[in-house]
Amino acid sequence: MGQIILGVGDFGASNSPSDEIKTFALGSCVSVIFLDPKTRTVGMAHVALPDSSINKAKAAEKPGYFADTAIPALLKKMTTFGCDKRGKGMVVKLCGGANVMDTNDTFQIGKRNALAIKKILWSYGMGAVAEDLGKNYSRTVSISVAAGQITLSSPGKPNWQL
Amino acid sequence: MVKHISQEELQKIVQSVPMLSPSASQLLQLTSQPDHDLVDVINLVRNDANLTARVLKIVNSAAFALVNTVTSIDRAISYLGERIIVGIAIGDCAGQLFDKELSGYESAGGDLWKHDLRTAIASREVVTQSGADISSELAFTAGLLHDIGKSLISDYLQGSVVDAVEMISTEEGLDYLDAEEKLVGFDHTQAGYELAKAWQLPEELAEVIRYHHEPAKASEEFRSLVYAVHLGDNIAMMGGFGTGSDSMRYKLDQNYSDYIRISPNTLASIMLNVDIEFEKLEGSLMSSGENN
Repeated sequence: MGQIILGVGDFGASNSPSDEIKTFALGSCVSVIFLDPKTRTVGMAHVALPDSSINKAKAAEKPGYFADTAIPALLKKMTTFGCDKRGKGMVVKLCGGANVMDTNDTFQIGKRNALAIKKILWSYGMGAVAEDLGKNYSRTVSISVAAGQITLSSPGKPNWQL
Repeated sequence: MVKHISQEELQKIVQSVPMLSPSASQLLQLTSQPDHDLVDVINLVRNDANLTARVLKIVNSAAFALVNTVTSIDRAISYLGERIIVGIAIGDCAGQLFDKELSGYESAGGDLWKHDLRTAIASREVVTQSGADISSELAFTAGLLHDIGKSLISDYLQGSVVDAVEMISTEEGLDYLDAEEKLVGFDHTQAGYELAKAWQLPEELAEVIRYHHEPAKASEEFRSLVYAVHLGDNIAMMGGFGTGSDSMRYKLDQNYSDYIRISPNTLASIMLNVDIEFEKLEGSLMSSGENN
């Protein structure tokens, strides 16, 4: 089985049934997952910040890092597997976006990431069918391409599915 | 089932930890003084052959991509900056503490050092980007050392992760610090403070170790520094670099804004710079505990 590991700001996709896409320890970062039932392709991006306007050079080098550049980049990547370029027919799931305890508006990057992602998705007419967002713990996320099954883990908790 | 650590046991644990090397200890003393001279830092390093060799090796490593090989220690230090020198010195003599697997937090070996380095970079960025009147170099060093207590109590917390997580999610107002204290009688800041005393660390560093989760309790003199590391620590965890089960399970003290002003945009820029700077330093400093 091939394992595609995504770091912060990475994105990737696969249609090989034996592959698994995985990203470790999402704190305030959000993992955006696209599943295309038609081509049986799965894509994921590990988004760190909501808005690329703070550093255009970084966005050009690592588009997966920012919500507004990650979604177009992931969609484009998935067209190479025959997926629709505007994400038509894709199933969207979101995980991560945690916040530390007693946090204030400034430090709610997790929440702002999730909101920014949803806004971009709406502009494509897409929306998440399932999400596991917020709370105050970090999540490791993996998805098997064959089953499209998302498994989440966090120390001290039994694994769960989305 | 975990059991409480007695005061005597804690002292024994602290005494079993190797002392800092004389040069690391003197570097920490020297660089925590606000008006110290870089020449004194250079002289200190020059008198320690091992440290000199390590510094030269790191400045010439691929991470810094210098065109010409640096052979003089003065140039190496002015290029790297004293915070990196302090980082190398601490990593060299306390590497085994930083590289230790924190099984009591279900955290792999090396995670603590990565978390500490992220916290150090983030604390420094907090200071420079907010314009707060705090030494950014000192914030970096304090960030490196803030969680040293975790490696002291981790073994005693083994098997407690599920209980700790459960405690925090069911009891209103509890965070991981409370859970540690309930489980083993001490939290990691108290344990770290005992080591800070044994190591005779400068007072401001000891205060950061003791109060980085409760900055309001720090003495007024050092409180803004403690707040800077408090934020740096939280930023490191938000970026996905915690130490296992306790990550994100601490309270953010809202009163930080009395000491440090940060807008949402500044915070985003801090987080981005932490990623960039960490990538640069990770490869060169990370192996500090393993190969001298």
